[in-house]
Amino acid sequence: MSGLTARRSWWLAVVLLLSACGQKEAQLHDTQLLVMGTLVNVSILDGDEDVAAVATTEVEQRLRQMHRDLHAWQPGPLTRVNEAIASGESAPVDTEKTMLIERGTELSRQSGGLFNPAIGNLIALWGFHSDDGPHGPPPDAAAIRSLLAQAPSMTDLHIDDGRLRSDNPAVQLDFGGFAKGYAIDEAIRILREHHIDNAIVNAGGDLRVIGRHGARPWRIGIRDPRGPGVIASVEVSGDECVFTSGDYERYFEYQGRRYHHIIDPRSGYPAVGSSSVTVLSHEAIVADAAATALFVAGPDTWAQTAKAMGIDQAMLIDDKGNVYMTPAMAKRTHFEVDPPPPIKVVVP
Amino acid sequence: MTQSAIPLKSIAGALRPTPGDILVALLTLVLLAGLYSHYWSGIGGEGERARIVSADGEVHLVALNEDRTLTVHGPLGDSVIEIHQGRVRFVESPCQGKQCIHAGWLHSAGSFAACLPNRISITVLGKNRHFDSINY
Repeated sequence: MSGLTARRSWWLAVVLLLSACGQKEAQLHDTQLLVMGTLVNVSILDGDEDVAAVATTEVEQRLRQMHRDLHAWQPGPLTRVNEAIASGESAPVDTEKTMLIERGTELSRQSGGLFNPAIGNLIALWGFHSDDGPHGPPPDAAAIRSLLAQAPSMTDLHIDDGRLRSDNPAVQLDFGGFAKGYAIDEAIRILREHHIDNAIVNAGGDLRVIGRHGARPWRIGIRDPRGPGVIASVEVSGDECVFTSGDYERYFEYQGRRYHHIIDPRSGYPAVGSSSVTVLSHEAIVADAAATALFVAGPDTWAQTAKAMGIDQAMLIDDKGNVYMTPAMAKRTHFEVDPPPPIKVVVP
Repeated sequence: MTQSAIPLKSIAGALRPTPGDILVALLTLVLLAGLYSHYWSGIGGEGERARIVSADGEVHLVALNEDRTLTVHGPLGDSVIEIHQGRVRFVESPCQGKQCIHAGWLHSAGSFAACLPNRISITVLGKNRHFDSINY
């Protein structure tokens, strides 16, 4: 009997030893790119170093091309389209811009106009069409009222035979509210073409993950909008995006008041009530637009806007530090601050 | 006293550890120690070094356990980076927005800040990253 136990133990020892040898950690290939006016981090877990390098270079080239094609104020294809709209003429649009205009129109409709890529004039009036941001003063109230009265909307646009025309010359396309999401979707598509199954693409703090970090999910920290650290974390795997719109990203201060870059299309002024909104979704272009729309909606109506846009996982932190979450978001969010902030779970 | 079905001597023999048992126990301890250091010792994920990349692609690797201040040249001018008590931050920058300075101290592995106008980035490196990516 004791001989049998000894033999079993030897087998167990061999199995343990082999399993320990098998736990070789996959190499993380981490690359940072300064592209699209932001810092893009591409983290690839699997594949050899050469595959990761080739895929990352292709991502960088694609993002640089998108930056040129879709830039809202540096002279290029999109500014030429906007010039044609302003002068009441039609302009040729390629398949990519046609797709973005169609997606933008649909997302804008779902959000009840809170996400509106047609308000480029308003964003420019506030001075956010510059690489280094505006420094104030805020624009004249009469100029804001005059732009709002012209009511630029995506529904003013029509595309026939590859040509775009607008019923409203006040429409100016600005894809800033969802171009980053589209860029991240494109980056992930390229990584997949290179048979990379486990990766994160983080562009200026917004990200999409595929696969896992080896035996565990990817761990994502969500920045505290009012502090230096992380307020909460979520574990993500498979194929998920985490996007946050915050009032701390781009702003200027004038005479002691802070003016951030998320403009409410209804008032023409920076949206009030929210400090940050985090959205989880399977498509980055949707998550990006929804984070902006929910931020504009504010603490009273964000949950209805989330439902209308098909988002069931979202968190809003208001300007007083109160946290509002959908039930699905609350279930998977872990707070990293002690004590956790006051939380209100809202059923959309 | 209850009569035992198995003679006491035979039970004692079965309980005596064999060389295999001892090996299994030792390997289990080694495996546990390995798992602990792999999954838990990084909680908090303090960084050990920082990687500073400047506009010309030059990479500086600096230890965070030595307090120092360094000047990195970019297209707009000089950015000043401070390392103090295991943390790193931008303290001076020729850019207008100063968002790099607003980013404040960085200490956990994986965290980063960048001055986009002056094209300089700082990433904190460390073996154990508490988070794989930061959303903001």
